Amino acid sequence: MDGLRKSYGDFTAVRDVSFEVAQGEIFALLGRNGAGKTTTVEVLAGFQAPDEGTVRVLGLDPVRDRAAVRRSSGIMLQEAGFFPDLTVAQTVDAWRDFVAAPRPRDEALGLAGLDAKAGTRVRQLSGGEKRRLDLALAILSRPDVLFLDEPTTGMDPRARRDTWEVILDLARQGTTILLTTHYLEEAQHLASSMVIMDRGTVVAGGGMAETLAAQTGRVAFELPPSVGLRDLPLPGATPEGDLAVYRVPDPDLAAHTLLDWAAGRGLRLRDLEVRTATLEDLFLDLATDERSETDSEKEVV
Amino acid sequence: MTVSARDLAVVTRFNGRLFWRDRTALSTSVALFLLLGTGMPLMMDRLQPGSPEFLLNMHLGVLATVLVVATFQQTAVTLSARRDQLLLKRMRATGLGDRDILGGEVANLVLQSTALTAVVSVALYALTSLPVPRDPLLYLFAVVAGALVLCLLGAAFTVVVPRSELAAPMAMPFFLLAGLGAGGFGPVTQMLPGWVGTVLGVLPTAAVTDMARVAYAARGGLVDDLGAAAVPTLKLALWAAAALLVIARRFRWESRKS
Repeated sequence: MDGLRKSYGDFTAVRDVSFEVAQGEIFALLGRNGAGKTTTVEVLAGFQAPDEGTVRVLGLDPVRDRAAVRRSSGIMLQEAGFFPDLTVAQTVDAWRDFVAAPRPRDEALGLAGLDAKAGTRVRQLSGGEKRRLDLALAILSRPDVLFLDEPTTGMDPRARRDTWEVILDLARQGTTILLTTHYLEEAQHLASSMVIMDRGTVVAGGGMAETLAAQTGRVAFELPPSVGLRDLPLPGATPEGDLAVYRVPDPDLAAHTLLDWAAGRGLRLRDLEVRTATLEDLFLDLATDERSETDSEKEVV
Repeated sequence: MTVSARDLAVVTRFNGRLFWRDRTALSTSVALFLLLGTGMPLMMDRLQPGSPEFLLNMHLGVLATVLVVATFQQTAVTLSARRDQLLLKRMRATGLGDRDILGGEVANLVLQSTALTAVVSVALYALTSLPVPRDPLLYLFAVVAGALVLCLLGAAFTVVVPRSELAAPMAMPFFLLAGLGAGGFGPVTQMLPGWVGTVLGVLPTAAVTDMARVAYAARGGLVDDLGAAAVPTLKLALWAAAALLVIARRFRWESRKS
């Protein structure tokens, strides 16, 4: 995707979005509500034509060559209905007729964890179970490319973990997967690269490991009595309630320094927490940056 | 994009299964069709025996009227509901083409309404003095072509339907006008100014009854029938072209809120 722009009337949903996804890769598209993730997925899936930019899926134009792209791709839409009076098995059977070389029904239901619900009417499924049925339909055609728009929303933790395994398994078999999710833990667990979108543009992106490595880790502890932030051996601590918090490139080294310093003074660093950067930290940092920008804009006004 | 015969058949069959599970469709499109289509001419035959022309007019008028319910209205209601429930979008997420998805719905309703017409017609041949058409093929053509055009118009009509629950009430004026023009409510147009009949004669249901009347005419041959059916066929073709144009340009696959 190169330079995608998509507007609805006066509202520009997505502008200048570019990224590439390699074969067999799991790629995460992250962002808050209204960031432009679903619009991007719908353009990639050929539901909407881009206003500007070039979009290719498997080397094909998803709008012009929609039939060919659809035959090789599976789509788990964020919002789409089911025929409520059909059972789960009847739904899968019907969809097997709609795709070429489909998986056997039981295999699809097994992968989605819906074997026990085969005879249940769709209207009686929970939200999470409907998402799993969505997944079963998306993977029915053994797609080369899979678009997953918030695939585990509404699922219980067990079903979410099972779905992650299915997704990882498909990627191991060579399926290219683009997913959007609100669960940053999910993106971090599954994706090897990602972009973070905000207000229609890409604000961060790259390989997951590299991007996170470039972020600061976090060291936090309860300040010992009668010790102030200025007394600490490392500069840059910030207060967060009763805690002193460092955001540093190497949290292990910082923790060693602090523990040595505390041991030398006979102090204990209670509730010590040392962790490397997570996607959530990156996300929160970007949100903080945005708030700062907004505050600056307000001040200018 | 072309229509795939295999995909069209698959979607038609799927829609057929859904149709016979849908209680609303069964009550409006099937029960109403059979009851009115058979009951009204049967009642008139009992009330006014020995009036074959009157019986034929009643039969064709009622048939055209219930065809509007089973095709135009049913298409508009079904497609609007599936659009709003994002079922059309889900079907588009498969390898099916747009024409296969819409064509499958239209083909299913054409098949259902043709079968219902056959049931009604055979019942009337058995229970009343209505004769079998002299040219059954032309009669079949009139029904199939009429059902097809009305289904296409129903699909085009969804463009102006804002929400699925409004599809049926919004289709009601067309149902009334079409029924009036076709004579489904009796010879009402004879009591109205002449221009009303002329205007209503433009509607596709009038073309269906005109063509069917040729098929039932006691005298005629192949050449005469083709000549007499040419104008109604042309009318239907123009309606079909208009519907296809609207569908190609304005058909909405998703609800406005999505």
